[in-house]
Amino acid sequence: MAAQRLGVRAKERADARYFLVALCLFLALMLGFPALANLWYSFSNFSFRDLTGGSFVGLANYRQAIANPGLWSALGFSLRFGLICAAIELILGLALVFVLHPLLAKRPWMTGILMLPMMVSPALMGVMYRLILNEFTGVIPAYLEMFGRPINFLGKNNVYFTVIGIEILQWTPFAFLILLTARQTIPMELEEAAAVDGAIGVQLNTLVILPNMVPTIIIVAFIRFIDSFRVFDHIYVLTGGGPGNTTTSLSIYIYKLFFNQNVLGEAVAVSIMLLMASLAILFAGLKLAVRTRTR
Amino acid sequence: MIVARKGIGSKIAHTLRWVVFIVAGVVLNLPIIMTLMTSFKTMADINTSPPPLIFSPTLDNYREVLAGGNTDLPSYILNSIVIAGGGALLAIALTFPAAYAIVRHEVGKSWLLPLITNLRAVPLIIFAIPIYLMFQLAGLLDTRTGMILIECVINIPVALVLFVGFIQDIPEEMDAAAKVDGATSLRTLWHVIVPLSRPILLAVLILSFVYGWNEFLFGLILTTKQAVPVTVGATFFVTTYGVKWGATAAAMTLGVVPPLILGLFTYPYIGKAMLTGALKG
Repeated sequence: MAAQRLGVRAKERADARYFLVALCLFLALMLGFPALANLWYSFSNFSFRDLTGGSFVGLANYRQAIANPGLWSALGFSLRFGLICAAIELILGLALVFVLHPLLAKRPWMTGILMLPMMVSPALMGVMYRLILNEFTGVIPAYLEMFGRPINFLGKNNVYFTVIGIEILQWTPFAFLILLTARQTIPMELEEAAAVDGAIGVQLNTLVILPNMVPTIIIVAFIRFIDSFRVFDHIYVLTGGGPGNTTTSLSIYIYKLFFNQNVLGEAVAVSIMLLMASLAILFAGLKLAVRTRTR
Repeated sequence: MIVARKGIGSKIAHTLRWVVFIVAGVVLNLPIIMTLMTSFKTMADINTSPPPLIFSPTLDNYREVLAGGNTDLPSYILNSIVIAGGGALLAIALTFPAAYAIVRHEVGKSWLLPLITNLRAVPLIIFAIPIYLMFQLAGLLDTRTGMILIECVINIPVALVLFVGFIQDIPEEMDAAAKVDGATSLRTLWHVIVPLSRPILLAVLILSFVYGWNEFLFGLILTTKQAVPVTVGATFFVTTYGVKWGATAAAMTLGVVPPLILGLFTYPYIGKAMLTGALKG
């Protein structure tokens, strides 16, 4: 009887594999095959004219990629951009959660208003900021002029901080929403017990609530860093990576190599290195996650 | 006395919280509010400095971008609807049965689930170049079909994570009852799990639609004329229209508002998707 049941289960498991076939085939075709093609292209000298041709050139593309100072400046930009944005978004998100939590518990519409920016396409967000920050017709500089201090947000000296500011303003709502979700799952009993012990206000938040939110804080920091690291959309529409290469992120750098400068092999070599690096980081992140969970 | 002082203190705190909320709400949504206002202004109002906060609204800008005859905005919007909708439906069709198999039969739970959830964190530009080359060979460049395939890839991680999380919470007795009646896994999935999963199916549909609608990088790379989505098409306005701020603002508004409204229904699921995905991934 038991053996028969086991047989049924094994058969069901075999049947269940069919449910995965379509998904696996699709991913293999759309991601697996391109990744392998990428790998081959990174070792060959192909061109737009001759996609299936090209001959093996060894590590020449990689050598060329590493020798290009543009790569290192783009990597530096993406790392700095990711770290600065993730840190500030996390701090602002936490502050908003601590200040607003008592109001939000009974008023979900307020959360709805605060999370709106994360629903906007980052590219269109960039264009909208371009409209309102425009030196001559923009609304923000016009109001600032009333106070006698116009700022040219999109000018050469300020645009670096402007693209960081826009990223933070668009994605602080994300940090806020995830942190709020975690905050709202902390049981009332914990707060009440702490209140009996005399913990109120800032003390309650830093000593009781904050430690309980550490796993979520790590997750939010990780997700925000990765998303900001690969930034493309709003910078592309605002500056196209310029002036010079002051706002060229890694994603924009690869895009420009491939579509503007036509150095195909080098672009592909950079993207393979980026894939390897992100897999390594993800693997490390996964190990960290497992360790925090088992602790 | 103490009680009274505490009362005043908490009242001040309460007011301060409201002030913080209003300031945050206005600052974070400023570009949306300003663009929305500009889109209803006449040329004269737009060129007034400082910009007036109160003005008599006009629909001229919308008339110009939708029926003016010299823009392709209506076709961009139609493209976005088809691409985002098709990408969402395809992602659901692929991930829902897979999620069921992963949860109930533990097939692929140890390798496929973490692999797919981590896909979300890989920079998309890595795949942009080979997909561009592949689409060129397959004749999929600048087609809605090609864009639907791409949006589907982008939606798969979040859809799978949300489905797995939801199906895990359906008691196993529900499908055990169907099994006793001799139903196959496919029938159980269709007649038991799908009806119970209606809320999450709707949430994933909306969320995937929003992500598909908002996507920019692949739209920029893979489309040129026929299949241009609104995120890419709306950026054309800035360069071609130059000084026509009103028309540009109207185009922006039309590109931004649909996901905003849909987002209001689904944002609680985003928190869940991120936390379950990351914790179980």
